[in-house]
Amino acid sequence: MPQYGIYFDQTRCTGCYTCIVACKDWYDLPAGPASFMRVKCIERGTFPDLFAAYLATPCYHCAAPPCMAACQYQAIHKRETDGIVVVDAEKCVGAGLCPKRCLKACPWGAPQFQAAPDAKMQKCQLCLERLDAGRQPICVEACPMFALEVGPIEELRKQHGDQPRAEGFKYLKRFEPSVTFKLKP
Amino acid sequence: MAVEDTETKAATSGLTIVNTGCCHDCGGRCVLKAHVREGRVVRLESDTGDAPQIRACARGRAYRQRLYSPERLRQPLRRVGARGEGRFEPVTWDAALDEVAANMKRIKAAHGNRAILFLPGAGNQGMLHGPTAPGILLTLFGGYTRYWGIPSYEGAMFASMATYGTIRTGHSRDDLLNSRLILMWGWNPANTIWDPETSLWLARAKEQGSRIVVIDPRFTDSAATFGHQWIPIRPGTDAAMLLAMAYVIISEKICDQAFIEMHTLGFDAFRDHVLGKDDGQPKTPQWAEAITKVPAQTIAELARAYATQKPAALVAGWGPARTAVGEQYSRCAAVLCAITGNIGMPGGYAGGFMRAYSSRETGHLLKKDPAQRVDKAKGIPSANPVENGALPRSDSLYKLSGGTNATSARIHQSKIWDAILRGRAGGYPADLKMAYIVASNCLNQYPNSPKGAQALKSLEFVVVHEQFLTATARHADIVLPVNTFMERTDIAPPWLGSPYYIYLNKAVDSLADTKSDLEICRELAPRLGLSADYFQQSDDQILRTFTQRRADIPDYDAMRRDGVLKIRLPEPIVAFKEQIADPDKYPFATLSGKIEIDCGHIAEMNNPRIPSVPKYLSHPEHYDAPLAQRYPLQLLTAHSKIRTHSTLERVPWLQELESQGAWIHPLDAAARGIRDGEAIEIFNDRGRIRTTARVTERIMPGVVNVCQGAWYTPDADGVDVGGCANTLTLDEPSPGGAFPMNSALVEVVSAAQTALEKK
Repeated sequence: MPQYGIYFDQTRCTGCYTCIVACKDWYDLPAGPASFMRVKCIERGTFPDLFAAYLATPCYHCAAPPCMAACQYQAIHKRETDGIVVVDAEKCVGAGLCPKRCLKACPWGAPQFQAAPDAKMQKCQLCLERLDAGRQPICVEACPMFALEVGPIEELRKQHGDQPRAEGFKYLKRFEPSVTFKLKP
Repeated sequence: MAVEDTETKAATSGLTIVNTGCCHDCGGRCVLKAHVREGRVVRLESDTGDAPQIRACARGRAYRQRLYSPERLRQPLRRVGARGEGRFEPVTWDAALDEVAANMKRIKAAHGNRAILFLPGAGNQGMLHGPTAPGILLTLFGGYTRYWGIPSYEGAMFASMATYGTIRTGHSRDDLLNSRLILMWGWNPANTIWDPETSLWLARAKEQGSRIVVIDPRFTDSAATFGHQWIPIRPGTDAAMLLAMAYVIISEKICDQAFIEMHTLGFDAFRDHVLGKDDGQPKTPQWAEAITKVPAQTIAELARAYATQKPAALVAGWGPARTAVGEQYSRCAAVLCAITGNIGMPGGYAGGFMRAYSSRETGHLLKKDPAQRVDKAKGIPSANPVENGALPRSDSLYKLSGGTNATSARIHQSKIWDAILRGRAGGYPADLKMAYIVASNCLNQYPNSPKGAQALKSLEFVVVHEQFLTATARHADIVLPVNTFMERTDIAPPWLGSPYYIYLNKAVDSLADTKSDLEICRELAPRLGLSADYFQQSDDQILRTFTQRRADIPDYDAMRRDGVLKIRLPEPIVAFKEQIADPDKYPFATLSGKIEIDCGHIAEMNNPRIPSVPKYLSHPEHYDAPLAQRYPLQLLTAHSKIRTHSTLERVPWLQELESQGAWIHPLDAAARGIRDGEAIEIFNDRGRIRTTARVTERIMPGVVNVCQGAWYTPDADGVDVGGCANTLTLDEPSPGGAFPMNSALVEVVSAAQTALEKK
């Protein structure tokens, strides 16, 4: 089973947020707390010696996803074909009955809940419908800087190098997040 | 959610994909593909076609929420409260248009056409739709008074015309790969786009080894992403740093003497000024350090690098020219390009207005017949009867062809409010009685919004074509609801001029009772007693006529089908390649035929505030002016990355992306007891705004930034709780017509402090 994952070129990201909005539009998510893609700004230093970078944060589709382990309703699983971590809305009991254990387990905040008290978990599923139709995820096609790529993670690592570090990203080996970066120096 | 965007599935699911584009007054014009089901746009995609892809940014991708915003105007409105109060009643189109026509006829009969002020904007404008049709209608009606001067670029345009005689001074973006060194001077395309592919080419240039230096008072996203080096500079002092760089280059004899002799005019006068022979002050890096806060050594090193690491591109952004004497900066930058010989070669850059390609131009396509040329000194012809034959402004570059219209019949845009309030008695060309406003949130976007509100309230009649109840629309008597580019057919030429066109196929029917500006004119024309044959053609017919003159659109129908026409260029566009290669055959478009370092046309103005060789000048709202004792902070009004000017302000997907607060340095915040995220008030003698503090190291001490475009919303005490930057800006142009949007002095206090004082 090839594990699908993400390459993010942090040197190119200008923090334009296009990926976020393209995703919200494609999945018709309202403005509000649920966003499958998030962009974090990292700022360091004191004037005039400054550093700033942006980190695009979707779901990293871990090989050993902590969200999956945390869900006692077996609502989260990995697709056999590509290892994409998906949520089963019918099995998810919603935030009202479960204290968002998946979100608490994920170090990167991938599980998302809309504002309603009984909202079910939603997350980045790597646009698997688009992938199945031979298309790239919407964020990949939207990025004006061509800073995102999605595909079998081993191929991405072969092409871009195996770089688990990025500004603002905490790599946790035990979960094996399927991501490789171009690190901003 | 099932994906239904493939061709086959689309056919069976009732989904059609319409090739259109994004067309507001941002630095782009991008491809959008509207997924339409049952007459509604349900999703958007952008360019997935051949390279170069013209990918929309967050603003375009969020368009669906603007299109279907509950705040969109859906029917004509008539004022019922006091003007500006924002109380309206819905009326029928017939009632609204009858009222507009009656007022236009009344005012024309009583005061003449001159009393009709037309304020067109670019907020909702394609090649066809927007203010074009209303302008023609008003011309047929006997004419109108309008403005000259554009806030974005007037200083840069003046400098471009004076120095080069043209605004076509840019290179296509692919040429950035040829630059060894790129100076991004007050230039932030990561946020302002500057044609859709710019940031990508900058990233590629950096990746293949170009060195990039960013000169800006803010550590912008462009500085953070592209810059090897960031040089913070005190706002409004750019000309001083450029002169000091010239000092180093001239005194160390690393200027391009052969280029200077062959292609320029007036170097000696400039050299004498730089060396201090005319005023006793050599413009040394030490001199500039005290003014700019840039260390002398940094200035000297940058100067040496720029002069010797050729080809080098000095991209002179427009922001530093949006200042009280903005043209001096733009002129200095262009002169530095010239004395280092970085012009006319791949990888170089000429500064100036920086247009690369003709896709926005029409004039050059008409054959220039020397016999038809008029002596503008005796009067400038115009289709508009009100301004036809008026003499040129004495402060204009009227002898040149192109650039800003030089007619003295127009009022500088920054003085429109003053002109309304004072009329002929104040020295303006007309007593203005009504305003016809199209695609413009002028109250928000012209300087000095409080004075603007006073001015709009003083008029006899105000009609506004709008999509939302903006600050301007709130001051109308009649608001006519206009549709968007998703609801009509048009062509979007690129913003500044890049080699492509976007065909905007109509995606859905107009929302509710909205109409295009053209449809409004069609219905208004007979009410004004005009036959208006022009308005009877279909959008498609008109667009075909428009594009027939363009040699680069060989197949209109293919462009319409594909939604985009990308023009393949054999090599990157390099401005002035011909002039440099063969100066005898291809003179510059200036009066002398040379690059005018010392500009004779400016010399004739005989105004020390606009010297014929560029200089660093102070002004009454500069950091060293007496007013700085009371208002010690310099205000910047940069562009937001989540709005386009005041457009897209009411889009939740964009609003949630980041706080719209004012950037203030921790030292300035601490001195005022202000914490990050706290409510603050920013004020000067013109007005007071309330916003939140974004305390950040990314802005230099002594400077605050409020992104322009937030909606002017005065409360009962006159405090603008919407946080519109122009509540604070000065309504006084530079001698060359630049807008001083980045030249206001202000003070900042915590809102809690203000509330305490009121008790």
